[in-house]
Amino acid sequence: MDDARRKVVITGLGIVSSIGIGAKEFSEGLRSGRSGVKPITSFETEGYAHANGCEITDFTAGDWVVGTDPSTMGRTSQFAAAAARMAVGDAGLPFDELRGRRCLVSVGTTDGESRDLDQLAVDQLRDGPEHLDELLARRSPASRLATSIVRELALTDVEPVTIPTACAAGNYAIGHGIDAIRAGDADVVLAGGVDALCRKTYAGFYRLGAMAPEVCQPFDRHRKGILVGEGAGILLMESLESALARGARIYAEVLGYGLNCDALSPVHPDQNTLARCMELALHNAGVKPEDIDFISAHGTGTRANDMTEVGAIRQAFAGTPPPTVSIKSMLGHAMGAASALGAAACALAITEGFIPPTINHRETDPECDVDCVPNEVRYAEVNVVQNNSLAFGGNNAVTVLGRCEAGG
Amino acid sequence: MTAQAALADRDGTRTAELVLSKWFVVSPYGVGNDPFADGVLSGRSAISGVDRSQFDVPYELVGLVPDFSAAKYLGNKGTRLMDRLTALAVTAAGGLVDQCREDLVADPERAALVLGTGWASVQSIMDTTRDSLTGDKPYHVDPAKFPNTVMNKAAGQSAIWHTIKGPNTTISGDWLTALLTLSYAARLVRGGHCDRALCGVAEEYSAQRAWLEWHAGRAGGDGMSALGEGSAFFLLESAADAERSGRTPLVRLLATRFTAFGAHGDAGAALRDCVRAALRQAGVGPEQVRVVAPASAGAAPVENDVLTEEFGASAPEWIRSRHLIGDASAASAGFQIAAVLAAAGRRPLGRDEAAVVTTIGRDGMTGCLVLGGCGGSS
Repeated sequence: MDDARRKVVITGLGIVSSIGIGAKEFSEGLRSGRSGVKPITSFETEGYAHANGCEITDFTAGDWVVGTDPSTMGRTSQFAAAAARMAVGDAGLPFDELRGRRCLVSVGTTDGESRDLDQLAVDQLRDGPEHLDELLARRSPASRLATSIVRELALTDVEPVTIPTACAAGNYAIGHGIDAIRAGDADVVLAGGVDALCRKTYAGFYRLGAMAPEVCQPFDRHRKGILVGEGAGILLMESLESALARGARIYAEVLGYGLNCDALSPVHPDQNTLARCMELALHNAGVKPEDIDFISAHGTGTRANDMTEVGAIRQAFAGTPPPTVSIKSMLGHAMGAASALGAAACALAITEGFIPPTINHRETDPECDVDCVPNEVRYAEVNVVQNNSLAFGGNNAVTVLGRCEAGG
Repeated sequence: MTAQAALADRDGTRTAELVLSKWFVVSPYGVGNDPFADGVLSGRSAISGVDRSQFDVPYELVGLVPDFSAAKYLGNKGTRLMDRLTALAVTAAGGLVDQCREDLVADPERAALVLGTGWASVQSIMDTTRDSLTGDKPYHVDPAKFPNTVMNKAAGQSAIWHTIKGPNTTISGDWLTALLTLSYAARLVRGGHCDRALCGVAEEYSAQRAWLEWHAGRAGGDGMSALGEGSAFFLLESAADAERSGRTPLVRLLATRFTAFGAHGDAGAALRDCVRAALRQAGVGPEQVRVVAPASAGAAPVENDVLTEEFGASAPEWIRSRHLIGDASAASAGFQIAAVLAAAGRRPLGRDEAAVVTTIGRDGMTGCLVLGGCGGSS
């Protein structure tokens, strides 16, 4: 094998999403164009003219989190621990074998333990800061997202890092995993992203006028903005050599990634820098634009994002760009989990041969004219896929996944 | 570039020796390296009484960056809405930028900015939630301040302020944060994503952070009852790149390792495993360790026992900074590293000498960083 560059593969998926928990349910959700939209119940929504979101209402932490007491974790950590355990199970890697390996746990997030911070703010307003709950205070740091996975799986030789790079965080975390395996710094990586619906972020995006009243319609002429979502996507990644040695099922190879920063505005995306980020990712992955079978877009459904992103895609892909879909039409914007769920969707698309649809689509906006695979799944051989993400702070992250030719 | 050339390029980067070549701190001693080095190496405390008119907190003592404001160090333009965390990070990053400006201007895309932090500005975050709860409408929050509540604000704003267009990443990991940040940044450089990384940590003092630390029982629980704040930045690059740009490498980054002990595990045994694994990875024997910079935090007696057992009580130079500047939470290991660089500034580490930075976190984790000297044999 080429020692200069170890191949990195995905052998396990852990998914907590509003369209299905577990890889199988998630895949069925993607293929059937399932919508996660419902009225928000996570917090009091009185005073908002509209309050739809893609909430997860069928998640019982105790069903998934078995190594630790779920009450010691906030909702976000529960999602993370559940998804990590699921990923290890899905990879068919025995837990005692996992514990014998050197691991990296790399978890992206936008808001960390936001539900606990919301609650602490409520309590503080009511009772004063001198009466805050000790357990809530202790479990509220974002670093707990990674260490909750460590505790849940009883890992010891492990580097647990939380990467709070906002709405591109999932791709950042996956990228870190790629580099760790390529460098020989980790045998097994649990990487992805996680977030839970929270009052603060809903209020902020609503105030900015970015919130859609009913549904999320990326690339549509009538799109009205984002819907907030939540969940976790954790990928189990290892070297190809390791996967082959244990006869593991391989979903896909993670070919590479690119990161850059607009360094222009804290909130507005920049088309040129985003286009450049795609070039960096393709170069790192060793593929060309014409190799890409579809793009899983950031596709938030705001006017600004979709126009800027499609502009950047047209810049990076001379001629007609590949089909460009947004699974946020189904999942809403799961914040730090979004691009991790995107990467999981790409892995499933490669394995099962389909391009997920962009649902809620009526009429493509001529200003962001792409083939968004409207409303109905498209069955096709999928070999190489690009997964986009952007974040506040001008942070761009793009991962590239491909069919693993060594089999599996 | 051909595929082969690209691989060769990457391989070259991957095996290159990485060094810290410059640093800058904003600490409770003030803005800049000299007051920090003088203070820490002479054992002078930077902790003072809390001004209750400024911070309504349950603590008596604080390690505050003296007389610090965004306007004072960054000017009035663009700082009106900047929170303290971002101002500290932008200021410290600026101190490092001043020492490598030509490289950044020549190729802003090849420089990364990696910033470690805790809750980020939990004051900004919870203030916004409060406004949502108390306003006439739940969305009556300040749209101009909303970006301050996003945890990567300080990193993104540092990149905007200094035009750093490479990877821009925020890292969080409690007291281990600085070690995780260096570990991440080293992989970015070795992976070919950038030529150099401005790698830092930042933590702000705020009433909200103080109350959360107080209730978590984490800051006061070990008798160390002052929270600190500040920001420390390090320039990480290959030795060859540093020399090409006329910067003399200060220390080599040899290894970072992390070991968990879980809720009921043994922190001491975990730290011992962690330190030994780090030294093995670094190719350094315990007798080569000349400087030891422990966290001296929550599990201090355990940490002390393990390090004494591994390195002996007297031979190495022990550098402790936490009792002088307070618990800087996510920035604390950054100040430990800065303290090692301050010591190495007075008496450089020889090529065959090493420094070890350790920490036992509050969340079941231990970490160890091994830095090697760059000088001749001692």
